[in-house]
Amino acid sequence: MKWLVFLGISAAVLLAAVGLGPTPIVDLLHSPIIWNLRVPRALLGFVVGGSLGLAGASLQSLVRNPLADPFLLGLSGGASLGAVIAIAFHLPGPWALPLAAFAGALVAMGLVFRLALAGGGELDPRVLLLGGVAVGAFAGAITTAIVSLADATELRNAYLWLWGGLSAASWQAVLVLCLYAPLPVVVLLASSGSLDLLTLGEEPARYLGADVGRVKLRVYLAASLLTAAAVAAAGVIGFVGLIVPHLGRALWGVRHRALLPASFLAGGALLVAADTLARVVVAPRELPVGIVTALIGVPFFVLLLRRWTAY
Amino acid sequence: MPVRATRIVSLAPSLTELVFALGGGNRLVGRTTWCKYPPEATRVPVVGDGLSPNVEAIAARRPDLVLLYRSPLTETAARQLAGLSIPALILRHDRLADVGRTARLLGPLVGDSLAGDSIGRIFDSIAASVPPPPRARVAFVAWDDPPIILGGGSYLTEVARLAGARNLFDDLSAASATVSLETIAVRNPDWIVMVDDSGGDSVRILRAGYPALARRPEWQIVPAVRERRFLALPGTLFGRPTPATPRAVAVLRRALEAAR
Repeated sequence: MKWLVFLGISAAVLLAAVGLGPTPIVDLLHSPIIWNLRVPRALLGFVVGGSLGLAGASLQSLVRNPLADPFLLGLSGGASLGAVIAIAFHLPGPWALPLAAFAGALVAMGLVFRLALAGGGELDPRVLLLGGVAVGAFAGAITTAIVSLADATELRNAYLWLWGGLSAASWQAVLVLCLYAPLPVVVLLASSGSLDLLTLGEEPARYLGADVGRVKLRVYLAASLLTAAAVAAAGVIGFVGLIVPHLGRALWGVRHRALLPASFLAGGALLVAADTLARVVVAPRELPVGIVTALIGVPFFVLLLRRWTAY
Repeated sequence: MPVRATRIVSLAPSLTELVFALGGGNRLVGRTTWCKYPPEATRVPVVGDGLSPNVEAIAARRPDLVLLYRSPLTETAARQLAGLSIPALILRHDRLADVGRTARLLGPLVGDSLAGDSIGRIFDSIAASVPPPPRARVAFVAWDDPPIILGGGSYLTEVARLAGARNLFDDLSAASATVSLETIAVRNPDWIVMVDDSGGDSVRILRAGYPALARRPEWQIVPAVRERRFLALPGTLFGRPTPATPRAVAVLRRALEAAR
């Protein structure tokens, strides 16, 4: 029943995203604005938001830290650096910026991964977090250096891209993401059982028969690859990956078999709803969607925190 | 009676150009990295990028007049310069009406007041003239992802109006704004107009060598993009309000007539 309501809400949000816009469309079924702009944008938003929600839920369990979000591990810093390099050096073509962001995220991921393995043969979640913060800050410093030396309009454009947005949505982008995302999504969903054990702590999980080292590696790589693709498609969209998993736990409990798909659906619905607001509220102007996710997400998060601390 | 300055530092491209037009170019001892017009300006030493003025670099040029573009950062710089007993003027220079006013103000300070008055009179007559009826509807696109257009508060909207074109986003009061792509598609401009900083000074109708947005799949929703109706305005002539604005208006009007 809960699932039906939830699927219903997601479908309603998607329909609203297609139906609402800065200009009223009379002939919904035949308008190229609907089919070539709003539908791919809603689908792209759903997959990106879902990916962030799923990656966030997985990473919070992996590092056993409720503050973790997909960008805490240095990926946003790496992606931003890649994007700013693409803009500052005028790399040509519509795919240059997303590819550069993707490459930047992968480089950051590689560095953090290498750091986290430094202590021995196994990933250390604490080092993963600290390494993520360090690599992110370092990339951020280089990004700011480039931005402060670039000219004024490029600087503004780079910052706008960093705040995230779905304005570049097209069927090509949807297709690329839908070919890419299923593998990491399936890997994460298949790790549900092991993540349940891992939340008990690494030692208990080992006694209960989980191959802890491999689970951590698998979850980390899949969540990072998913986040890197989300960043390449839509920039750094904050709060979705942080808030959605907590919402999921409040409604579905801590078992990952339900939590992970719920986080995907909730992340998708939240981002599509936020993007609809970003397009409609100040029309014909448009807000960066990352600002709207923060404005919706943070008060909601505060409510959850109050409930949480009330126990 | 103001004293004529002999060592001037200008921290805005439009003000640098105005100083040259007023005949004070040979007394300019500092400029920003962006001041590249007129070509003689490039021989003047650079003192920074003008966005957050480097007061030490400015003071090192020993100026007796510093021209600053109005922004919070330049107000701090003006206070610091005042502390060093270096006179600084903060000028707003964004719109057509600013050119004549600034020219009259700067004339006696940097060149001669006659030149300032004659530029002022030209812009008075532009302000008093009735613009031709708009025959082309244009959108000025400043960036493709996210789509940023120039609004009614921009200088180029004024140039377009004088040249017989209407900026379809003149209802937005800001100088520039992020808008949704579908609004651009629905408003359906005849031309997508962009400022091109690659050099040259004639308006080019781009049929080949398209801008980057022509290759973006989502932009194909805009008919003018599909039909490759792009106009590239040379940044040297259209990049800022200057005494050369009447020439920019004439160049754009001729290009629009030829393009129809």
